[in-house]
Amino acid sequence: MKTFEVIDISGDVGIRAFGKNIEEAFTNAAIGMYSLITNIEGIRESRKIIIETQSDSLEGLLVSYLSELIFQFDAYGFIGKGIDINIFRLEPSPFLKATVRGEEFNPEKHERKLLIKAATYHKVRIEKVSDIWEIDVIFDI
Amino acid sequence: MLPEKLKRIDETRIEVPDDYKPGMRVKGIIYVDEILEKDLEPQCIDQVANVATLPGIVGASMAMPDVHTGYGFSIGGVAAFDLKEGIVSPGGVGYDINCGVRLLRSNLKKIDVVPGLKDLVSILYNEIPSGVGSKGKIRLTPENEERLLLNGARWAVDEGYGEASDLDRIESGGCIDGAEPELISKKAYERGKAQQGTLGSGNHFLEIQYVDEIYDEKAANVLGLFEGQVTVMIHTGSRGFGHQVCTDFLEVMARAASKYNIALPDRELACAPYNSPEAQDYLAAMRAAANYAWANRQCIMHWAREAFLNFLKTTPGELGMNLIYDVAHNIAKVEEHIVDGKRKRLIVHRKGATRAFPPGHPELPEVYKNTGQPVLIPGDMGRASFVLLGTEKAMAETFGSTCHGAGRVMSRHQAIKKAKGRAIWREMEDKGIIVRSAGRETLAEEMSEAYKDISSVVDVVHRAGISKKVARLRPMGVIKG
Repeated sequence: MKTFEVIDISGDVGIRAFGKNIEEAFTNAAIGMYSLITNIEGIRESRKIIIETQSDSLEGLLVSYLSELIFQFDAYGFIGKGIDINIFRLEPSPFLKATVRGEEFNPEKHERKLLIKAATYHKVRIEKVSDIWEIDVIFDI
Repeated sequence: MLPEKLKRIDETRIEVPDDYKPGMRVKGIIYVDEILEKDLEPQCIDQVANVATLPGIVGASMAMPDVHTGYGFSIGGVAAFDLKEGIVSPGGVGYDINCGVRLLRSNLKKIDVVPGLKDLVSILYNEIPSGVGSKGKIRLTPENEERLLLNGARWAVDEGYGEASDLDRIESGGCIDGAEPELISKKAYERGKAQQGTLGSGNHFLEIQYVDEIYDEKAANVLGLFEGQVTVMIHTGSRGFGHQVCTDFLEVMARAASKYNIALPDRELACAPYNSPEAQDYLAAMRAAANYAWANRQCIMHWAREAFLNFLKTTPGELGMNLIYDVAHNIAKVEEHIVDGKRKRLIVHRKGATRAFPPGHPELPEVYKNTGQPVLIPGDMGRASFVLLGTEKAMAETFGSTCHGAGRVMSRHQAIKKAKGRAIWREMEDKGIIVRSAGRETLAEEMSEAYKDISSVVDVVHRAGISKKVARLRPMGVIKG
């Protein structure tokens, strides 16, 4: 199974992520996003951060989770390579807690690809197709 | 071929009738001629129609000739809303709040900089932080960041970046009143603290250009432009600070839309009534972000001036590198307009559209009272940029608005594919344009072919009379993120 692919749209760019379960699809969406920022093969897993996020819908949870990772990168330079979703629940309202492993981005060392401004709700899709969860999310570049 | 329901009004405009989609309160008007009509994405037409369904929209939902698909509102969209019945939407401003352009003149001629151009571009590239993961030279304490959010470009001048005389030549004097720093999230403060004075990435740039054609000699004189002259253009916005403000308030507005029973055809159109606390809070936060952007362009301009002064070993008087103007192209503002013969205050959303006020408008500085507001339209890095002026017709037809740039025709991925095996920097150098970029793929994504021809976009607004051409600028040195 492919973990993610790039969605090509004019102006910006998106990620289509796949997973055997929703947690895995969420993980792959974030890895896909990181791969737009840099070549993640060059990232070491020398630090970890824990993030928590919640929303009133599943789509909202996805956008706020990716927004949190964008924030961690843009404010503190933290770029991830591996993600463990520790808690994922839908009731009483969608919530997730994840551990992200990575390091501080260094423009001298790491490849500089796209600057992601935000994760958007534009054409956002979270769907189980046959046995595979699929996520589409578009980023503002 | 245009979809069946659309009809051409005249040579530069098509109408999206108010029965194009259920719920439209007004019609849509898209400024395109028959050439640009071919690039019109069907999704843009839908977006123009969606905006027409929002409560309190006045006149028409409009799109400028550089229109392309955005989030909620199309890029190139202009929409004005009544202050009593209407709404405010962050989607009508965009993630990069007060993304905009400023233009500097100089006393230099092209020939004065060509011999040292490569070195000059390198110096500017080193002096002005750009690209993914770059940090600025300024570190803001929370108190200082708060002062910046209240004072915009004035803060920058107080800190020693530029001159007080620059402020007159910035839209809104470089500082829009009504910013409320206490409404800004901690996250936005954090993202903003090391990004003041940075260019960013994507289509943002600093360019050394020269004036290659003057269309209106008299106006060019007032603006201080002459043929063969060197100019500097800066295109950037409010950086991570503004992106975070937009992200934060889209959530607030999504909840508000359901609270106030506003039916949304698209979640990115999330909005709240103008008079609601949610909308007023967004506007106060947006103004803080707009001020962040004006300060940002002011700092970058200051370093660019210093780089020229040091490199050419000259004096400010001799260099004459003065600000011509600075315009916002992603912003919402309360303005007075005439609607059905009556003077009315409206909240005008411009997303990828430039204000284009006519001669005599009270918001213009004295120096431009008789000419109208300078309008700065950047093109792609290989072709041209334009200087235009605002007109009465813009005031009457488009709430004093015009286009903002070229608009992409190719996705980033398509552009990268097309550039495979080519050295874009060398192709540019063969044309006499020196480029430097932080990102490896930036030049491929930003190559000329990825954009509409700026000349055809500008021709449409000129022929439509919503702004008039003054000068064309050609790039010589380009710094990208």
